[in-house]
Amino acid sequence: MDELAWFLPHWPPAFSNLMLFGVLLVAGLLGGELAHRIAALPRVTGYVLVGVAAGPHALGIAPSPLFSEARVFVDLALGLIVFELGHRFDLDWLARNRWLAVAAIGESVGAFFAIYWTLGYFDYPPLLAACAAAVGTATSPAVAVVVSQELRASGQITERMLLFTAVNCAFAYVALMLFMPLVHMQHETSWRSAILHPMYLLAGAAFLGFAGSQLLLWIAGWLGKREEHQFVLLVALVVLVVGLARALNLPVVVALLVLGVLARNLDYDHVLLPLRFGHAGQLLFVVLFVLTGASLDFSGLEAVGAVAAAFVAMRFLGKALVILALGRLSGLRAGGAGLLSLSLLPMSGLAVVMVYDTAAIHPRFGAELAAVVLSAVAVLEIVGPLATQFALRRAGETHPEA
Amino acid sequence: MEFAASQPLSLGIELELQLVRAHDRDLAHEAGDLIERLAKKKVPGEVKPEVTLSMIELNSTIQRSFAGALAELEAQRAVVCEAAGVLNLGICGGGAHPFHDWSERRVYPAERFKMVTERYGYLAKQFTVFGQHIHLGCSDGDEAVYLVHMLTRYMPHFIALSAASPFYQGEDTSFQSSRLTAVSAFPLSGHMPFVADWAAFLEYFNAMRGYGIVEGMKDFYWDIRPKPEYGTIEIRVSDTPLTVRRAALLAGYAQALAAWLVEESKDRPDNAVYRVNAYNRFEACRFGYDGQLVDPYARSKRSIREDILATAAAVMPQAARLGCVEAVRELADDVRRGYSDAGWLRARLAASGSLPDVVREACNVWADRAKTH
Repeated sequence: MDELAWFLPHWPPAFSNLMLFGVLLVAGLLGGELAHRIAALPRVTGYVLVGVAAGPHALGIAPSPLFSEARVFVDLALGLIVFELGHRFDLDWLARNRWLAVAAIGESVGAFFAIYWTLGYFDYPPLLAACAAAVGTATSPAVAVVVSQELRASGQITERMLLFTAVNCAFAYVALMLFMPLVHMQHETSWRSAILHPMYLLAGAAFLGFAGSQLLLWIAGWLGKREEHQFVLLVALVVLVVGLARALNLPVVVALLVLGVLARNLDYDHVLLPLRFGHAGQLLFVVLFVLTGASLDFSGLEAVGAVAAAFVAMRFLGKALVILALGRLSGLRAGGAGLLSLSLLPMSGLAVVMVYDTAAIHPRFGAELAAVVLSAVAVLEIVGPLATQFALRRAGETHPEA
Repeated sequence: MEFAASQPLSLGIELELQLVRAHDRDLAHEAGDLIERLAKKKVPGEVKPEVTLSMIELNSTIQRSFAGALAELEAQRAVVCEAAGVLNLGICGGGAHPFHDWSERRVYPAERFKMVTERYGYLAKQFTVFGQHIHLGCSDGDEAVYLVHMLTRYMPHFIALSAASPFYQGEDTSFQSSRLTAVSAFPLSGHMPFVADWAAFLEYFNAMRGYGIVEGMKDFYWDIRPKPEYGTIEIRVSDTPLTVRRAALLAGYAQALAAWLVEESKDRPDNAVYRVNAYNRFEACRFGYDGQLVDPYARSKRSIREDILATAAAVMPQAARLGCVEAVRELADDVRRGYSDAGWLRARLAASGSLPDVVREACNVWADRAKTH
């Protein structure tokens, strides 16, 4: 037997994270397909549930080293999604349809105040409530983009859902950064850094996005209209912007949104082709949602369950009231406003990132904020995609076979 | 079936239009939203749904002249473009969308279109092509039958002059008009049988209805067909041009030509027209002005270009009488310089390098934000 030992592995063999990653991917894929076939749920929900099952609250087989190794996939997936969201943001449309612009901003403001008042009602300190409300306005770009892709949705509700998502994400970040100085003051930082920090974040992210868009347009113009070349270029630019934003301590999502919006609206020579995610996108989305599921935090749910429920309900009402009020004026057909409000329900990954970003600056403050927001996220990560799927199906905008 | 009375040589225009998404210039599915929005606006004529949610159809009111038709089309276009802008939809002419995937089309939720889909299967979705129909008023059914037979010889003109579907499903078809191929797949396409007069036509029609093959005239997908309810004949071979102006020019040419056939033509209806029709029609679809046209009366062959120019010269006195000299002259000038919408679309592809860009530019042309020439 000894003579065999030199080529046989040690027992038990060392399973790498790569293997685990493969297993998670297969599990995610199967989970998504099962959710779709058995319960007619969005595949996204299946991926998330597999993530939850693998995560620390259940099996605990998704340990943290895997997360950091897979981070590049998550970054790339979110990067492409946020870029796409920005790239669908059409300034010409808003110029032609002013009520649409009013509705998009009003919907964010409505959700913000609804959450703010709710948290105030539960006696949370105003600043904490305002930060949580800012984070809460954002609809999940990942769910909006991936669910509409999966359903091959196309139409007014779909387009407006994506547009409003871009606006409320931008709103959430800007609002959060405006509250940042106050947070800093409460935690006794100097007033100078309290003012300079948000300015650095916003201006830095905007400039990074702008520079990225110019580089993208310049290279794309030179490469020509070849879809396969442009896809690689886009992945490269997205990764570059994510990497630079991280290295410079800038908000990644804002930089990517600016990149997408400017790449579309400054593309005067029409050099960029429409983005199609294809099979590579599918791979990234499975990873993204499985890992999102694994990162969901249900631990606070028991303690703050009632607040989280009120948070979710009032957030929806805040959005819905504004959209219902302005629906017809902005050119929505009868019944469209309710469906659009419903489609905007998902809230996810970004909020988690924002919460961690805040927590990184001020751990105590971040922890307080986290309990409520993360519980709401955990609930909406499961329920949200269902709402979006229902809304788009009901609106008749999905492909009959999707 | 009564042939309704109508003002002889009065005009009616129907245009099927493409609804285009802003972000990738593929076809949209939003005809329902747009039609609902337009229902509240004052649009001259009518806006109607078509078989899939990617199309709408504009109908003019009854017009006496080319100038009136053009003014009305421009007014319709302005209202429709404004409403489409609110929904971020592009609108364009052209006989076919250059790169849409027919299997992605969704049928307009109305009973009639559901029945068409059930009956014709994939042909219904493939029928997402966009044509211009020109109605010409006739004094009675016999004149309608006469004009259908006589105009058939000139159908290649209307195909070549309107040709605007060189691309289909993402490929250059090498045709000037690929749209008519989609029409030919239907069992009741083709042409009216060679009947002597309205009474003979009624006999044919009643026999077909007796067999249970058709219920009404709308079941015939012919290149030209009588439309007794309106008291017109309807020319259906043209692609929707890229501009409303060209649509009006074609109507003006049709009016002058019909007037000439009624007033001056020495030829009489002859079944020989239908013998050469399939050949002439193919030549026009494939080669446009460069195609060959067999004249069954003269028993000779010449290019469609020469035939249009000769006809335009012949009908000019009638055009002068009807106020459409401008239309006939402008089309003849285009033929001389070799301009066609199909050629323009190909040139834009060569210049921009992508079909979504071609669609974007076609939308600009339709909205009158850019010119073709």
